[in-house]
Amino acid sequence: MRYTRAHIILFLTPLSLVVLFMYAMMLWTAYVSMNNWVGMAPSWDFNGLANYITLFRMERFWINLQNNILWMVIFIPPTAFLGLVLAYALELSGRAEAIFRPIFLYPMALSFVVTGTLWAWMYDPGTGVINSLLKGVGLGALAQPWIASPKQALYCMIGAAIWQYTGFAMTLYLAAIRDISREIIEASRVDGANDLQVFTYIVVPNVQHATMIVVAMLTLFSLKVFDLVWVMTMGGPGNSTEVLSYFMFVATFRQQLVGIGAAISVIILVLAVLVVIPYASWSMKRMQV
Amino acid sequence: MKRPQRLWLYFVLTIAAAAWLLPMYVMLSTSLKTPREVALGQYITPPHSLEINNYLVAFGVLKQGLLNSVVVAIPATALAVFLGSWAGFFLAMFRFRHSQTVFFVASVATFLPYQIILIPFTQFMAALNLFNTQWGLIVAYLLLNVPMAALISATFFQMLPVELQEAAALDGCGPVTFYFRILLPVAQLGLVSTTILIFTMIWNEFLIAITLTQGPYTQMATPVLAGLKGNYAQLWHIQMAGAMITSIPPLIIFIFLGRYFIAGLMAGTLKG
Repeated sequence: MRYTRAHIILFLTPLSLVVLFMYAMMLWTAYVSMNNWVGMAPSWDFNGLANYITLFRMERFWINLQNNILWMVIFIPPTAFLGLVLAYALELSGRAEAIFRPIFLYPMALSFVVTGTLWAWMYDPGTGVINSLLKGVGLGALAQPWIASPKQALYCMIGAAIWQYTGFAMTLYLAAIRDISREIIEASRVDGANDLQVFTYIVVPNVQHATMIVVAMLTLFSLKVFDLVWVMTMGGPGNSTEVLSYFMFVATFRQQLVGIGAAISVIILVLAVLVVIPYASWSMKRMQV
Repeated sequence: MKRPQRLWLYFVLTIAAAAWLLPMYVMLSTSLKTPREVALGQYITPPHSLEINNYLVAFGVLKQGLLNSVVVAIPATALAVFLGSWAGFFLAMFRFRHSQTVFFVASVATFLPYQIILIPFTQFMAALNLFNTQWGLIVAYLLLNVPMAALISATFFQMLPVELQEAAALDGCGPVTFYFRILLPVAQLGLVSTTILIFTMIWNEFLIAITLTQGPYTQMATPVLAGLKGNYAQLWHIQMAGAMITSIPPLIIFIFLGRYFIAGLMAGTLKG
């Protein structure tokens, strides 16, 4: 099909304007982060890196950053592993797949606000589902304060996220397993390999690209998690479940420390860029765009 | 060849399925119980009778929010998919100088957490007098989702057979005619998937919704549901009914258009 320069302009102008606008906003955020802006009306009072220095001196900032890192460390491996195991089980299960697959995937369709509402109740120490179930089967001694405990709340929240995202990992892994050539698997079966051996020696080494996608997507999720924190704990007890994006929101829109909020945004941006740029270049190579 | 007995398989799948369904089950059954039944704490027992009143109470609170979500999500989705696929089509079909750059820059913008532009975004909306309006939400979701729609649709359009383009070229069909006459009817899987995914994302979104609006007249369903948790603290039956109501549109999409939802979800990761 023939196309001219005019076509390029015609087709790409809307997208380009939107994308340029977004990058301009990022620069704007970066500039705001170097101003002593307090209150909702813009106030331009350049103070260099002072906001960053203030942040780095706050214990709260380090707790939040640590929580984001804990999210990555504790959320990603089980989600990816469960996703892979379930994908392999579904692949082996034949026709039962049609029944099981939607059961693991439906949480992906729900809002985090729904997930948060639901799981806040699951984990409620007094009348929550989990403690009631434990008492119901005579295991009341195992009841925990869950979401009300500063030590457990973060892990509880990650548990809810695992519930929501395992189906996503599973779907990516299932597609990757289906891309493995049938001959390799059948040949190994003829040689007497059992399910575990096929999994270890054929499936795991051949789904690396799905692992890349899963890890990249879940890392980005861990960096921007906000809704679950807001709905389930408001960052508490204390600030034990606060993360950077939550702090950013509170600093900006509640305490009106806009300069500080912008500085947190920039830190989130820098962390995200470390994942997004390699990921975007890698996937473009694969897509051969 | 003898089929191996795979007891472990069904064991793992059944246990996992039970664990995955349990939250949904207790949410649904509790949303239909009376407060007295809920107070017994026997969450596994099904409700004695269907307490529809919970839904009426929750719906009464959520009504305006649901309406706002519909009013915002539909036009924002439609425009984002149109503008996005307009560019996605061109990126997928033609190689020109800098086409890779455009694609790369757009995908980076798509994947970066949008928290980082929230402050200027709010200022921008305030400057346009769109703060706390449905127009403001529509503009916000439109801007945020155009790059996403472009990438997802481009992923699908790439899979179309080259012959389609060649045949069109022989008939002297230009890109604009091709987009409207051939692509839109032919690439339905891609367009429906993109639409469904973006609609669901907007419906479920929370951060933009609480940042750009305040108060009951403009808030979308998700902030209202989050507020329900405060106003009806410990009243699980009302909270669960509210959560069910808010989940109905995405769950209907998932149940009836699951194939498209999943395809969109996968394309949204740039899985080539």
